[in-house]
Amino acid sequence: MSLVEVLASIVFYPPIYQLVIVGLIVTLGVVIIILWFERKATARVQRRLGPYHVAPKLAGMPQLLADLLRYAFQEIIIPRTVDRGVFITAPIIATVLSILPIAVVPFTSIPDYWPIPMDYSVLVALAISTVSPIFLVLAGWASNNKFSIIGGVREAFIITAYELIAILSILSVSAATLSFNFIDIVNAQMNTAWFIILNPIAFMAAFLAVLMSTSGFPFEIPESENEVVAGPFTEYSGILYGLNMGAAYMKRFAFSIILAVAFLGGWSPLTPGEGILYGYLLPSIVVIIKAFILMMVFSFLRSVYGRYRLDQALQGAWRLVFPMALIGFGIGIIEAYLGLT
Amino acid sequence: MVEGLRFMKLSEEMVRVVIEKVKKELGDLVKSVEEGKGYISIKVPLNRLREAAVKLKNMGFDHVKSLTVTDYKKKGVFEVMYMASSYLDEELSRIIVSLTVEIDRNNPRMPSLSDIWTSVEFQEREVYEFFGIHFEGHPDLRPLLLVPDIADLKPLTKDFIVKEEPIFKS
Amino acid sequence: MSVSVIGGPKRESDLKIPGTEVRKIEKDLYEVFIGPQHPGSGHMRIIIRVDGDVIVEADPDMGYVHRTMEKLGEIRQYIKNIPLFERMAIQDACNVTVPYVLALEKILDIEPPQRAKYLRSLLCEINRIAAHLYGFGIFGVFIGHSTMYMWAFADREVMVELAEKLTGARLTHSYPIPGGARRDMPQDFPQAARKAARYMRRRLEEYRKIFLDNPVMKARMEGVGYIPKKLAAELGVVGPVARASGIKYDARYNDPYDAYDEVDFEIPVFEEGDALARAWVKVEEIKQSLRIIEQAVDWLESHTSEAPIHDKFWAKSPPLWKKVFEKEGRVKLLPMMATMKIPPGKAFARGETARGEIVYYVESTGDSIPYRVRIVSPSARNAIVFKYVVPGHRVMDLPTIYGSIDYFPPEADR
Repeated sequence: MSLVEVLASIVFYPPIYQLVIVGLIVTLGVVIIILWFERKATARVQRRLGPYHVAPKLAGMPQLLADLLRYAFQEIIIPRTVDRGVFITAPIIATVLSILPIAVVPFTSIPDYWPIPMDYSVLVALAISTVSPIFLVLAGWASNNKFSIIGGVREAFIITAYELIAILSILSVSAATLSFNFIDIVNAQMNTAWFIILNPIAFMAAFLAVLMSTSGFPFEIPESENEVVAGPFTEYSGILYGLNMGAAYMKRFAFSIILAVAFLGGWSPLTPGEGILYGYLLPSIVVIIKAFILMMVFSFLRSVYGRYRLDQALQGAWRLVFPMALIGFGIGIIEAYLGLT
Repeated sequence: MVEGLRFMKLSEEMVRVVIEKVKKELGDLVKSVEEGKGYISIKVPLNRLREAAVKLKNMGFDHVKSLTVTDYKKKGVFEVMYMASSYLDEELSRIIVSLTVEIDRNNPRMPSLSDIWTSVEFQEREVYEFFGIHFEGHPDLRPLLLVPDIADLKPLTKDFIVKEEPIFKS
Repeated sequence: MSVSVIGGPKRESDLKIPGTEVRKIEKDLYEVFIGPQHPGSGHMRIIIRVDGDVIVEADPDMGYVHRTMEKLGEIRQYIKNIPLFERMAIQDACNVTVPYVLALEKILDIEPPQRAKYLRSLLCEINRIAAHLYGFGIFGVFIGHSTMYMWAFADREVMVELAEKLTGARLTHSYPIPGGARRDMPQDFPQAARKAARYMRRRLEEYRKIFLDNPVMKARMEGVGYIPKKLAAELGVVGPVARASGIKYDARYNDPYDAYDEVDFEIPVFEEGDALARAWVKVEEIKQSLRIIEQAVDWLESHTSEAPIHDKFWAKSPPLWKKVFEKEGRVKLLPMMATMKIPPGKAFARGETARGEIVYYVESTGDSIPYRVRIVSPSARNAIVFKYVVPGHRVMDLPTIYGSIDYFPPEADR
């Protein structure tokens, strides 16, 4: 085996590829680009320039790298009154958990390149995604600050609202395909049509749930600056604050990948072929591009909407989006009954 | 929008009519009437201030625009003016009626009118901190703008002299 | 007299600096200090007690930007007070100082020439639009709508530049003086003003689309901070807050000053009394201000240029002064104005600023400095809303109410 092959076999060893390459490096890159895009797009709407001065030729793209470096080398101030252990570990665990769902989502239909081959990958991915918000609540609680606690409580309220919606609406796909396996779901979509066309209501519900779970506008409630400073992260500084802020975007990326696979046909136009290039790398790039487009849509909403009030968001979630998710689930069952998929 | 208001010129006569109305309403409470520029000052005895305020309120003077206190150090009095006007009655809204009382400068105490005119509540707090006038019956008499140790100096009385840098002053 | 403000507490009451004292609060209540170093409060603090998510008590704690305007007013010459008082609300400088000038004119018993009246009203309306846009921007960012913030601040620039064209200063123009105004309108001003009015009307339509009719923002504003008409009169709230609650009161209409009795405009009144109505009042007022600007510009254009200052002062001006006016359109201040003695008298004047009615009481003893100046600014009168309207709302409604009443701490604290 040549050196290239050895390297390739290491890099494309599925757990390493999906957790380290996609999970960490690509996610970081996507988060940086999406943050840049968000700032640039918002600036465009608001008739400003946005990031500019760091490398004007790249339209200020490295600005986010500079910010990242600043966060990385900033002094971390830990107030005396906080619960030290939880205060430090909570954001780290939350970040790790928020990218973990990527590990169980397959990027290809070739069994060799599944990180963890199993039949219940949808359920496991959803289960992992529900754990990380708890640590945000914990971070707020450990901060021992009124604004943090209010922010944490808001986060908790939001969790109760979106969790069920997210799970139900994504499971509607499982209902339609009679399978908990992402591979079957993607194959079903390749045979008929993408689920965004077959079941748009479930997709809408899932989209809103993701928006709520990652506090995107108009549901940017736990961190709303004008009421609770930075919500659960009020006391954080330096890289811990960066992690907290980044975790929301990483989580959004993980969710976007799940949505891309479940609703947008995964690697759909592409049929994975033999070898690493056609069997693994290209399909994964297709999935990531789809997720990226979703992220761009999420980001753009910032310049259009303000934020809802907490009770309005909860009311909207339970009265409007939850029935939507139920209807989506029903549509999934009907589709399975009619044998559409 | 409900409707747009059209402008109407204010005439001297209209003001005069309102003044007569106020005088009639207050009756024997009026000690003296002084017509200032832009307002009418009606002096009432201190012990009947609340009575006069209630009567004005019932007439339609529903809010106080300014609680103005002036320190006449030579006379040894604070002149307290409740400058009331109306929102709901358009005729009354054209004039400002000031209920004026004089209180002893050395023992500045007077009844609070904040239960009659809620709008005066914060202004009474302000006067309390700047002049040290104690409003009896005020629900929440605390300094509003200043910290208490500065409020103790009663900065708006003529006793308080602003110190300036002496470079340009001999 | 020497006074010392340093030193330990002398009495028990001295310890009661708001927010530092130990207070007992009811069980299950949670006390939150919103401000003053808080992104959503400005230079003030609101101490709220919350039961769950509902505010049960709110105590506005003002004074963080108190600048002793009233006391300083008593130790400065009359004319020096104009630049001082406009620091209360720099983007609303002309509106804030005009009533003071009116009060002085009442004592002096002079009436400015018609041209000066129109010029003052013109600048007042430009300022009003700028201040409303400022308020809009702050309101927008308070409820999380950053686009509104950026747009309003960008469009405010148009008005600020218009003011610069007219007065020479972007903010703090020190434009009105007793007896007139300090500058005549430049030749190219009418065109610029009309262009700005056209632009502004177009933008207001965009504001409506992105902000006022935005379903999310509407949900945030509708029914929030409801002030019934009777309560509004009782609390003595002013300006857009009062007019959104159905009170037909505007100092420009009820006690007209300057050119307001000659121009044609309407006063928008809404009955709803909530935050949305207050936002709409501002939009409608901007439209009316644009009308006034256009009328004032038309009037100024069609009438011959004369020194916009009372003859009492202009007649005494040396030839050089007149030359400067002819050349630059600038009225050079007479030296006598700086130490001008004003005859004894008391005057009360009111004017409508963007945020509401401002009242001045000026008392003169015949000296070159006032004996007493009393200022009650609109925000100072609106502050009472925090105490009486905020309780019962949710914590997230606080920024909505704060933004909708357009509370401006530097103006409230004076």
